[in-house]
Amino acid sequence: MTSTDVLDVRAKALREKRRRRIASIIYIALGITLFFVAWVLLSLEASPWHYDIPPPFGAVGPFQDILQGVWGLFQGEGAIAHFWRNLGTSQDMKIKFVHACPDLHPANVNNPFRQIISSLMGWKYNADNLLPGQPSPVPIGQLPDYCYGYGIHLLVTIIRILIGAALGTIAGLAIGLSSLVFPKVAQVFTPVASFFGTAPIFIAAPFFVIWFGVEVPIMTTIGLVTFYTTLLMYFFSRRAAENIPVGIVESALTLGGTPRSIFRWVYLPGTVPEIAGGFRIALAGAWGLGVLVEVLGIQVGGGHLIDIWRFLIGQLQAPSALVALITFYGVLAVVVDGILLVLIRYLTRWSEAGRRLGL
Amino acid sequence: MSRVVSFEGLWCVFEHRSGQLVNALHDVNFEVQPGEFVCVVGRSGHGKTTLLRVLAGLQPPTAGQIRLGEVVVEGPGADRAMVFQQDTVFPWLHVRENVEFGLRALKVDDEERESTTAHWLDAVGLTDFADSWPRELSGGMRKRVALAAAMAVGSDVILMDEPFGSLDYFTRRNLHDVLLDLWEETQKTVFFVTHDIEEALILADRVILLAEGKLVDDIPVDLPRPRDEDVRASSAAVDITKTILAHLGITEEEATQV
Repeated sequence: MTSTDVLDVRAKALREKRRRRIASIIYIALGITLFFVAWVLLSLEASPWHYDIPPPFGAVGPFQDILQGVWGLFQGEGAIAHFWRNLGTSQDMKIKFVHACPDLHPANVNNPFRQIISSLMGWKYNADNLLPGQPSPVPIGQLPDYCYGYGIHLLVTIIRILIGAALGTIAGLAIGLSSLVFPKVAQVFTPVASFFGTAPIFIAAPFFVIWFGVEVPIMTTIGLVTFYTTLLMYFFSRRAAENIPVGIVESALTLGGTPRSIFRWVYLPGTVPEIAGGFRIALAGAWGLGVLVEVLGIQVGGGHLIDIWRFLIGQLQAPSALVALITFYGVLAVVVDGILLVLIRYLTRWSEAGRRLGL
Repeated sequence: MSRVVSFEGLWCVFEHRSGQLVNALHDVNFEVQPGEFVCVVGRSGHGKTTLLRVLAGLQPPTAGQIRLGEVVVEGPGADRAMVFQQDTVFPWLHVRENVEFGLRALKVDDEERESTTAHWLDAVGLTDFADSWPRELSGGMRKRVALAAAMAVGSDVILMDEPFGSLDYFTRRNLHDVLLDLWEETQKTVFFVTHDIEEALILADRVILLAEGKLVDDIPVDLPRPRDEDVRASSAAVDITKTILAHLGITEEEATQV
């Protein structure tokens, strides 16, 4: 192969890479467009879900001129505008949901960081002062404004889910990979994981809420996400390790590899691509799972907002931002997934090597 | 420290799924002196690879034993590094890290590890590719990496299981030269499994012939080195080829038809 040939191959590979990138941008744009088209169609008066699903855009907010003035489609505030307006603080919540976020009361915690931690723990105020469902004795206006916003709920959910996924990943990998070195770990854990693995986690979720209660979200939201991620990562790490060719492990053994060095230099890096793929799947499931558990009764978090919006529609005729919330989580999941993808590409750059030049 | 490798009454019996017992190795006895280049030749499924795997400690014998000097082989170890037929370099490690793997496992200090790695990378002609990923290399270059890794770990004995079988003729010939240079430099004992008689003639001091798990002949290859086409066409080389073919149950006519 001459240097001119190499340059040709390189140019061809670069053209191909550019083509793939443009195609993926087009697919993403197409996906987003289809999503909004579906949303608009579902929110039209002719739709049976008209009352549950407000239009994304309305007379207030972006595209108001087009939607109201030109097409005359929607009146009032669109869901996205409503969501955005209430992100920092919400007057509706302040009036009707004084106890929406009691765990954040300044009497219990005295700085924003501790307030977030406290809301994550979720037990402090409720356990001491409040029975489930009982209105908070906190007078109106004593909580900081952000306690009435949607943002704090979303942030709490994000942190819970990421903590749960991180704990589950560490536990799943530790158990999965150590079971390769210590077969007894596999003997004990595989039947347990198989048993729980057969029950879809969304069916198991209500049982978690019953067992651990809604006052202790660290055990419900974080616990369930951790449990789910642990199971998934256990199976993925074992499968990843089993997929490493036996010849490679045998080669390592004949080069003097000890269990420790083989774990460090063979199993750990060799399983990264499959484990990373598993983690992306686990995290994708964790978003839905975390919110679902919160809908079941936890007092702080994105899922709790869904409960609030149900009330808002009925009592205040305010638009439900439910779809906006779903969109928010969707965008968030895509962003986190994108960050993960970049990280995974870096960690598995060896597997892409060679392909770049079309070799 | 080079040691004599002794195969003593070695049996290896596998149970087939049908319940039938298969003698992969059948009372194999021979001895290999330090620094010898031994080619193990035989048809597919006649025990060549099993013999090498038992020597590597990857497969326990059913009966008998292998000794390295006075030490009985009981498991894999860095004193018997092996180069496999399939690609076994670690794709997630750079070429340099691949060569360093055994040295790291043996906890060789950094300075010595770096100098040893640099030496063997140079010896196999891969210094310029030290920071490449294995997938950026050709099949022949990856075999060089495997060879450098096996040499770097300081084994007395190098085991090679049809290592060049998947390569094209020219690459294979090139690697034969690399291997012979390294062997002459280090005087390590080499066990090289092949079913290619020409390859055995190019490389071996001695050919161990296996048929149905039995050692059927032990043929010294007293040909001058380097063994170019003229040497391999000499009457002595042709006689060795005929002997091997006869043991493998192939007549000259069949061989030329193939």
